[in-house]
Amino acid sequence: MKFNDVFVVDDDKIFHFIIKKLLVHNNINVIPKFFENGLQAIEGIKTKLNKGENPPDLILLDINMPILDGWQFLEEFKTIKDRLSKEIIIYIVSSSDDSTDKNKAKNYQSEVKNYYLKPMTAEDLKEIFSN
Amino acid sequence: MINNFSPIREINQRDKYFFKKMISNLPDLIFQLSYSSSGILTFPFFNKAVINYFELTKEQVRNFNITSVFREKIHPDDFDAMLISLQKLNENQSNWSFEFRAILPSKGLRWFKAVANIEHSDFDTIVMTGRMSDITVEKQLEVDLKISEQRFQFAMEASTKGVWDLNLKTNKVFYSSQSMKMLELEENDIIDFHQKWDDRIHPDDINDYQKEFELHINNQTPYYENAKRMLTKSGNYKWILSRGKVIERDLNGKPLRIIGTHTDITQQKEEEKALKKTLEIINEQNSRLLNFAHIVSHNLNSHTSNFKMLLDLVEEENDQNSIAEIFQYLRTSSNALHQTIEHLKELVDINNNMSFKKEKLNLDSYLNKVLAILGEEINNNKVKIYKKIPKDYNIPFNPSYLESILLNFTTNAIKYSHPDRIPEIYYDLVKENDKFVLKIKDNGLGIDLDRHGEKLFGMYKTFHNNPDARGIGLFITKNQIESMGGKVEVESKKNIGTTFKIFFNNEI
Repeated sequence: MKFNDVFVVDDDKIFHFIIKKLLVHNNINVIPKFFENGLQAIEGIKTKLNKGENPPDLILLDINMPILDGWQFLEEFKTIKDRLSKEIIIYIVSSSDDSTDKNKAKNYQSEVKNYYLKPMTAEDLKEIFSN
Repeated sequence: MINNFSPIREINQRDKYFFKKMISNLPDLIFQLSYSSSGILTFPFFNKAVINYFELTKEQVRNFNITSVFREKIHPDDFDAMLISLQKLNENQSNWSFEFRAILPSKGLRWFKAVANIEHSDFDTIVMTGRMSDITVEKQLEVDLKISEQRFQFAMEASTKGVWDLNLKTNKVFYSSQSMKMLELEENDIIDFHQKWDDRIHPDDINDYQKEFELHINNQTPYYENAKRMLTKSGNYKWILSRGKVIERDLNGKPLRIIGTHTDITQQKEEEKALKKTLEIINEQNSRLLNFAHIVSHNLNSHTSNFKMLLDLVEEENDQNSIAEIFQYLRTSSNALHQTIEHLKELVDINNNMSFKKEKLNLDSYLNKVLAILGEEINNNKVKIYKKIPKDYNIPFNPSYLESILLNFTTNAIKYSHPDRIPEIYYDLVKENDKFVLKIKDNGLGIDLDRHGEKLFGMYKTFHNNPDARGIGLFITKNQIESMGGKVEVESKKNIGTTFKIFFNNEI
């Protein structure tokens, strides 16, 4: 298993529960860390850096969140990217089918690997974790 | 012969013969006229040219009854006038001049001018010699010019356009009565110099006007055109479109004269303004509609995806406890969806009721009402309230919206008060650019606008069971204000406080 340390950043607690269940059902043996907004996630990464730990392998990132949304998280992430000991794979997972959001994601090609529209299926999850 | 001629020399017989022959054969119409006080007009002499020109027959010439012949040929009105003019001649006058019409057999109606010097005048008779010339062409030109001038005059009066004519050397200018009327000026309001007119231009329009005028004067534009506001006599402004063209330049290309027109385009400008306003409203509504469509799509999708994902999980699950847990989440999702739909319905209502009836509401008494509703909360949090709202200020607004807006801003100010300070809320009614603005200022936590400004009035994921309810509240408040034709702005500094500015639209 390539991804051992996974961050799920989403303010919807139902989504946290769903991801946990989906991982179990698909025999993906990972226990993700959950964050409710972009600020919590950035601080999560910084804490790891400060402790001299490796950054997470994978981040599933929602867009519409309070405090720091997905885009603002990516802006903050850019500023600490150089300090990371390895690359973090980021996927956007959002309910927004809005073309503005999809086009905006293209501006973050070097940070974001792909854009998944909710609902997230078992196939989507398998695809992400088989990479 | 001619070379030998000298006026000083005494005229001899041979010269007399020569002069007689010359005069007789001159192409000019030469005549001698005699008029007696008894009213008898005779022509003792006329040359050949007269015979030819007036198409006299040999018989008429032989009978020498030239007076009756002339009476026949000269237009009757003019013949009588000629006699009157001759009667009026007095001793002091040395010459006579008269214009008349003659109707000739083949040439038709012709105009003549007779000029004569008085040779001899006594109590009884006047004798004079002179010449006549055909002035038909000049007369025709004069008539044509008069017709053309009359047409021009009529056109100027009938037209809604004014005409101006500026002499650039003297800066003297002519404005037609229509131009004057546009500015409610009368004939006795003398505007003879350019500057007097220019003094009436709206200060904001002077620069553009001077620029356009200079460009044309310097031959950089083919014609001059400029629309500007001008002060009328009654003190109002009218939009006047001025167009012109230099029609005369000197050899160095320096302009001498420029002529142009004035058109009152006030109505057109007002219609343009109204159209622009309508377009703005339509654009605004369009963008709200689009925004609303995105909100609906995003918010419904976030719930329906949860349903789908949860139902997928149920299918995969065998354990009854786990299934019960999933159903609990389904219930939560269903409640959230229900709430979302309620909020969306509320928004549709607000946006549907753009023309919702407005009433004149007393702002101060509405604020007092809201403060009374929140009395307990205000007391518990020891909130200090400062109000500066004129007691007589009324605002056309929807009553339930006004209450909801005041309630929402006040609740927010209390909810996000700073833990280290006694909460203070200031309500101030001020005037900004002719609009009434209600400022609601607090000394609370403040908002980092750089981070959250964009989202503050937006409708991000507040439809979830988000503990931060500020989003949807402000979003609905903003929609309510805008549906009443107003707008809302925010100023805030983290740890200092927040000021919301509500711009009211005083139009009913």
